[in-house]
Amino acid sequence: MDRDLLRQTLSHHGQSLFTHLKCEQSENPDFKAIEPDLSKASYQRKYGGEDNALVEQFIARKADILFAPSWKSSALLEDPYAIMPPLEQFMEVSFEERRNLLYRDIERGDIVIGRINSIRDFGFFVTLICMGGGLERDIEDLELTALCPLRDVPSNGNHDDPLSYYQLNDLIRAGVKDIDRYHEKITISLQPSSLGPNLMNLKLGVFSRDDMPLQYSRSVRVANDNTETYERVLEGSLGYSNPSNVEYLLGKIGVSDTQPPSLMRGLQSKHFLEEDFATTIRKKQSASWALKCVRVGVDHFKSGRHVEAMNEYNKALEIDTNNVEALVARGALYANKGSLLKAITDFELALESCPTHRNAKKYLCQTLVERGGQLEEEEKLVTAEGLYRKALALDDSFQDAKEALKKIELLIQKSLKLREEAAAKEAEKAKNVETSAEKLRKILKEEKRYIHTNPSERKSKKKKRKHRRSSRGKKHQQVSSRDNRSVADDEEEWYPAPPNTSASFLDQKSSVVRPFEGPESTEEGSQPPSKGRSHSYRSLSSVSDAPDNSRFEDDPFDASPQRAEGSKGKGVRGDKTSDGDVKEREGSRGQRKIKHRRMSSSSAGSEHSRKSDQYTNDLPSQSHISTYRRSDSGKYGSTERGDKKEQERGTRRSDGGDYRSSTDATRNGKGSSAGGSQKKELPTNLLDLFSQIAQFEKEKCVKPKK
Amino acid sequence: MARFITPGSMEAVSRLGGAPGGKRGAPALDTDTDSTREIKTHFRVCRFIMETGVKLGMRSVPVATACVLYHRFFQCVSVTVYEPYLVAMSCIYLAGKVEEQHLRTRDIINVCHRYFHSSSEPLNCDGEFWDLRDSVVQCELLVLRQLNFHVSFQHPHKYLLHYLLSVKSLVNRHAWSRTPVAETTWALLRDCYHGTMCVRHAPQHIAIATLYLALLSYGVEVPVGEREWWQVLCEDITKEHIDAIISDLLHLYDMEAKCT
Repeated sequence: MDRDLLRQTLSHHGQSLFTHLKCEQSENPDFKAIEPDLSKASYQRKYGGEDNALVEQFIARKADILFAPSWKSSALLEDPYAIMPPLEQFMEVSFEERRNLLYRDIERGDIVIGRINSIRDFGFFVTLICMGGGLERDIEDLELTALCPLRDVPSNGNHDDPLSYYQLNDLIRAGVKDIDRYHEKITISLQPSSLGPNLMNLKLGVFSRDDMPLQYSRSVRVANDNTETYERVLEGSLGYSNPSNVEYLLGKIGVSDTQPPSLMRGLQSKHFLEEDFATTIRKKQSASWALKCVRVGVDHFKSGRHVEAMNEYNKALEIDTNNVEALVARGALYANKGSLLKAITDFELALESCPTHRNAKKYLCQTLVERGGQLEEEEKLVTAEGLYRKALALDDSFQDAKEALKKIELLIQKSLKLREEAAAKEAEKAKNVETSAEKLRKILKEEKRYIHTNPSERKSKKKKRKHRRSSRGKKHQQVSSRDNRSVADDEEEWYPAPPNTSASFLDQKSSVVRPFEGPESTEEGSQPPSKGRSHSYRSLSSVSDAPDNSRFEDDPFDASPQRAEGSKGKGVRGDKTSDGDVKEREGSRGQRKIKHRRMSSSSAGSEHSRKSDQYTNDLPSQSHISTYRRSDSGKYGSTERGDKKEQERGTRRSDGGDYRSSTDATRNGKGSSAGGSQKKELPTNLLDLFSQIAQFEKEKCVKPKK
Repeated sequence: MARFITPGSMEAVSRLGGAPGGKRGAPALDTDTDSTREIKTHFRVCRFIMETGVKLGMRSVPVATACVLYHRFFQCVSVTVYEPYLVAMSCIYLAGKVEEQHLRTRDIINVCHRYFHSSSEPLNCDGEFWDLRDSVVQCELLVLRQLNFHVSFQHPHKYLLHYLLSVKSLVNRHAWSRTPVAETTWALLRDCYHGTMCVRHAPQHIAIATLYLALLSYGVEVPVGEREWWQVLCEDITKEHIDAIISDLLHLYDMEAKCT
C-alpha cells in the first residue's frame, strides 16, 4: 500500500478514519506492515466539521484497492516520441573512439549519473554509468571516474559533515562542473548552480534505480539482447506510434512546418505573397458575400419589408461577423423599429472596427439624442444629459443634440431649485413635530427594557420577522416586477449619475443635493454625531411617511430602498432591539431617502411639500406604511450583528424573500450592489454616528442590568 | 469513370486552369516523348500541390500524403482522361481528412482559383463556385475508388526525425548547431514528393538517404564504429540504395529548370 498516500488521507480525515481502517483492513498484510508507521502520528481532522462516517467507512473498506500501488498510472514512461539508446552502442564504436569523443564533447552543465566508489575527506569519487541530460553517449563500460569536491556537496540539514550523508555505492546524479580535456579529468558538483537553465529543474544528489533515464534502461536491454536492433527498439517504443510525434519533434528540433524550407527555387518562402494565402482570401470573400446580403437587405428595407431586411442583415453577419456595413444597416433598422438600445450597440460595434464611418456616426448621434429624449420623459434627466453629451462628442455640429443638451441643463437647474425650496420648508417643519419625536423616544425606552428582560427572544423575533418577511415577499415581488424594466434599463445605461441622496438626508440644512458634486463635501461638515439629532431625523422621516406611500409603486423600488436600508442597518446594529417601532423609524427614514431621490429627479417637488403639510399628524397612515416597510428593515435588523458589508445586506434581502423569483433576487442583488457601491461614498462620519448611537444604546442596556 | 464528373464541373475546372499555355508551363517541345511530357505535367501538378499546401497552412505530412495519392492515382490511369489539377485538388482535400488536418473546400477552391488567375477577386457564391465544389467532391470519391480505399501511408518524416536525433547525439553539439542539417534534410524530404520516387522507395530508406545527403553537403564528420550509422538505423539498406535514391532526388532538381 502506498504509505504516503495513506498518510495524506488520514491527515485529512482524522483519527476516526484510522480506527475504521484498522477495523476493516485488519486482515490485510500490507496494511499491517505499515500500520505501526501510521499509528505513530496522531491525526487531527483537517477541516473541522462534518463527520463523514459513511465516506470514511467506504474508504476503509476499499483501502486495499484505493491505495494499491498498481493503481498508479505509469505516466512516467509515456514519451511523446521514441527515446532511443545512444547510437554509439548500435554502431559498436570502439572503446578508444568513444572515450576520445566523450572527452571532446562533454561540457559544463551536462548531467551524469554514477555510483560512489570512494569517499575521501576532500570529496568523493564517482564511477560514471550514464549520461543524464545534455549529451547522450554510451559510457558505462568506459569506467570513467569523476570527482565531486567537498565544497560542491551541499550540506544536508543537521549533518555537520555533508559527506557523512553519502555512502559507498550510492547512485548519484550530478552536474558536470569542469573538464580537463588534456588530463582527462572530470569534476562534478551537486550544487544546482552548476546546471544550465534548461536542465535546472532536475534534482541533483542521491538517485534511485527506478529513475534512471529511459535511454539507459533501453540501452541495457539492448546490451543484453543481441537481437535488439535500432529498428526494433524504435518500433517497439510507444512514442513511435504517437501521431503527433512529428509535430513535437519538429518543435524540438526547431524546424518550422508552416514556413517550410525547400531547395527548389520555386518554393522559396519569399515567393509566397500574403494575399495568396487561404485565410486572407477567405476574409475578402466573406466580406464581399456579406456585402451582397446587405444590399439585398437595404432593398427590402426601402420597400418596407423590414422582416426580410432583418433576415438579410443577420445572414450577412453570420457570413462575416462584425461586418461594418451590415452592423450599420441593422442598427438603422433597429432604430427605426424603436429598439434604440440595440441600435446603439450595433453602431458602437461598427465604429469600433471602423471609427471613421460617416453613416455610423450620424446614425449613432441621432439615436443617442432620441434615446435621451425618451429618458427625459421618464425623468432620468442626468442619464439623458450623459447621452446628449456623448452624441455631441461624436459630432460637434449636431444641432439637435446641442439644443437638447441646453434644454436638459435648464431642467436640471430647475429641479435643483425646487428641491432647495422644499428642503428649506422641511427644515422649518422640524420644529413642529415634537410630539412624534417624544412618542418615539418613549417607545425606544420600552424596547430597551424589553431587550433587557428577555435577550433570548431575539431569536424568536428573527423567526417572526422571517415569517413576516415571507408574507411580505409577495408584495415585494409585485412591486419589484413592475420596476424590473426600469431597473434593468438603469443597469444598462449606468452612465455616471450623481451619487444618491442617502448622505444628504442627514444634513437637513444643506440638503441641496447637487447632482454633479459628491455628497461628502456637503455632508461631512455638518454631521453632528448626537443621538438627539438622529432622533430628530427619525421624527422628520415619520412626517414624510405618507406622501411617499403614493410614490412607492413608481420608484425603482429595489435600488433605492437598499441604499436606505443599508444605512438603516447600521443604526439597527447599534440598537439591537430592531423591534417594530425602530423599524418604523427606519422604514420612514428609507422613505425619506426615496423622497429625496425623487426630488432630485423630478420637477414636481412642490407636491411633496404640500403633501407633507397635510399628513403631518396622520399617524395611522404612518404606521401603515411602516408596517409595510417593517419586513424590509426587519430583514436587515435580524441579520445585523457587528460589521457587515452593504452588499451582503442586499443579497440577504433577496435570499430572505422565499416567494421571490431568482431573477428578482439577482436584480435586488444588483440594485443593492449599485446601492452598495454608492454606499461606499458614505463618509466615515456616518459610521461614527451610528457607532456612537450603538454605544449609547449599549450603555443604556448595561445600566439597568447592573 | 468520367460519368461521375458532371460536364459543368469539368468545364469549370478547365476554366479554372485558364488557357492551356498559362500556368501549365512552357509549351511542350516536339522532342518530348509522351512519357516525358507526362512526367513534366506531374512535376508541375505536384508543385501546384505543394504551393497550395503552404498557402493553406498544411503540415508536411498531409502534403506528402496528397502527393502520394496523386502519384498512385496516375500510376493506374492516364493523364489524358482526367484533369490532373482537379485530381490534385481532390487529393489535397482527401489528404487533409486522412491526416486529420481538415481543410474546407472553400479554401482549397479559393487558393486554386487564385493560383491560376493571380490577383483576381475571390469567387462569388454562385453557380461556378458550386460546380467546382461538386467536382472536387466527386473526384475525391473517384480517387478513393481507384486506390481501393488504401489511403493511409507510412511516411519518412517520422523516421527522419528520430534518425536526426540519434545522429545529432554522435556529433559535437557546437558543430551541429553551426550546420543547418535539420532544415536541409527536411527540405530535401519535402522536395522528394515532386516525383514518383516517393512511392518507389521505402520510407526508412528515403529518410536515411536525405539525411545522408544533407550530412554530405555540409561535410559533417560522423564517428565510425563497426557499422555505419545508416546501417544501424535501418538493417536492410545498402550504399547502393542510398546512392540510387540520391540520384533520383537530384534528377528532380534538374527537372525544375525544365518544367517551370
